[in-house]
Amino acid sequence: MIGVKNLKKRFGDNVVLDGVDLTIQQGEVIAIIGPSGTGKSTLLRCIDRLERPEEGELQIGDLQVDLSRASRKDMINIRKRTAMVFQNWNLFHKKTALENVMEGLIVVKKLSKEQARQIAEEQLKNVGLYEWRNHYPRHLSGGQQQRVAIARALAMEPDLLLLDEPTSALDPELVGEVLETILKVAQEGYTMLLVSHEMSFVRKVATRVIFMENGHIIEDGTPGEIFNHPKSDRVRDFVRKIEMFNAPEYVI
Amino acid sequence: MEAKDLFDIKMVFSNIPDILRFLPVTMELAVGAMIFSLVFGLLIALIRMKRIRVLSQIAVLFISVIRGTPILVQLYVTYYGIPMFLKYLNIKNGTAYNVNNVPGIIYAFVALAINESAFNAEIIRASLQSVDKGQIEAAHSLGMTYFQVLRRIILPEAIEVALPSLGNSFIGLIKGTSLAFTCAVVEMTAQGRIIAGRNFRYFEVYCSLAIIYWVITIIIERIIKLLEKKMAIPEQIVETGKEGDVA
Repeated sequence: MIGVKNLKKRFGDNVVLDGVDLTIQQGEVIAIIGPSGTGKSTLLRCIDRLERPEEGELQIGDLQVDLSRASRKDMINIRKRTAMVFQNWNLFHKKTALENVMEGLIVVKKLSKEQARQIAEEQLKNVGLYEWRNHYPRHLSGGQQQRVAIARALAMEPDLLLLDEPTSALDPELVGEVLETILKVAQEGYTMLLVSHEMSFVRKVATRVIFMENGHIIEDGTPGEIFNHPKSDRVRDFVRKIEMFNAPEYVI
Repeated sequence: MEAKDLFDIKMVFSNIPDILRFLPVTMELAVGAMIFSLVFGLLIALIRMKRIRVLSQIAVLFISVIRGTPILVQLYVTYYGIPMFLKYLNIKNGTAYNVNNVPGIIYAFVALAINESAFNAEIIRASLQSVDKGQIEAAHSLGMTYFQVLRRIILPEAIEVALPSLGNSFIGLIKGTSLAFTCAVVEMTAQGRIIAGRNFRYFEVYCSLAIIYWVITIIIERIIKLLEKKMAIPEQIVETGKEGDVA
């Protein structure tokens, strides 16, 4: 079980997260939707402790941390149990695809080079990039880079996989391959927290959808409930507007 | 005296072996000061980037003073300052450091190393800050500590950025060692002056020195170019994958 309690984060006077509570069961794929600037990404970044919230507790299994007062050791423990896939993939430029995936295994998990290589090759096969393992990020397309980033995250065997708008920075024609990879990962049983604006994909991959606005969770339910029978007018309005522009070619 | 006796071109070249005997002194000074300045410069750069209180302000002051004063003045300050400091220690603590036992090369080394550190600290800081924040976040999110991120992700990329500037700064340092004579160190330039003092062929000696420094600089430029090439990400991977198909 993963739990976030009373998470509060502000940037200056701007309150981004206003006491968010969230409980995640193992194997759940939760999609967070909502307008821009409502704290979706910040929620993920606070969970990974890339941002320091003013208040909030995080529980991952037997690990319980006060996020506002996390020590260096706490932060590393949190990050060992979570893995993040970023909007701009953030691969290590000076390392090949394979080395990117091996890095955490060697440095953080202290595996031997041989063991790390085996796992990394397995993960790259899993995302269909084994043939590209010796390429540097700048010789890969955005979609390929993001799939390497997914492999890098999965290699760490996280209890929780955080995906922060993984397709927002991609060319439209590359979105499909990344969504396909994420769908495959979701079907493998990973617990996932996904921020996305790809509504048709969210419908398909998520077991639960959360609508956020102004630092609050407004609605929380199954994709069917949120998309077909939203309780609040605000969510109904948002879904209607966004589905209008959801071109069918992005659907996989 | 005939016109052809004015300039003895043969002497320009015959001086060179005699001067080159002191190449090791020049290189010891330059390489030693460079290594020190890289370590110390990195330390200063980190202090400034991490905004460590008090130390950070001292670092800013240090860089400002060193960059704002001529190296020649700094050499004299160390040459006269260190003995005074040792004498002060002797009087204060009743110790018996022999000021005259300190070899001149130590003063020259201290002055050059400190001067170089101030300049390299800024080069290193700029290059560390040029590394894309996203990669650093990604490394942290894998669970790496700050020093692991620094060593494995930031430095390899920052070094590539810093290399051309550090190379320039090293070339400057080599030429800077020619001022070490002020601390009574005999390196190449000082040896040249000694030779000229014997035969009064000052012009020829300085021509010899110019040639030597120029050639050394060319060699170092070549080495730096080679290193840059070695560090750069290769254009294309040939062993595996689909060539010509890369995005």
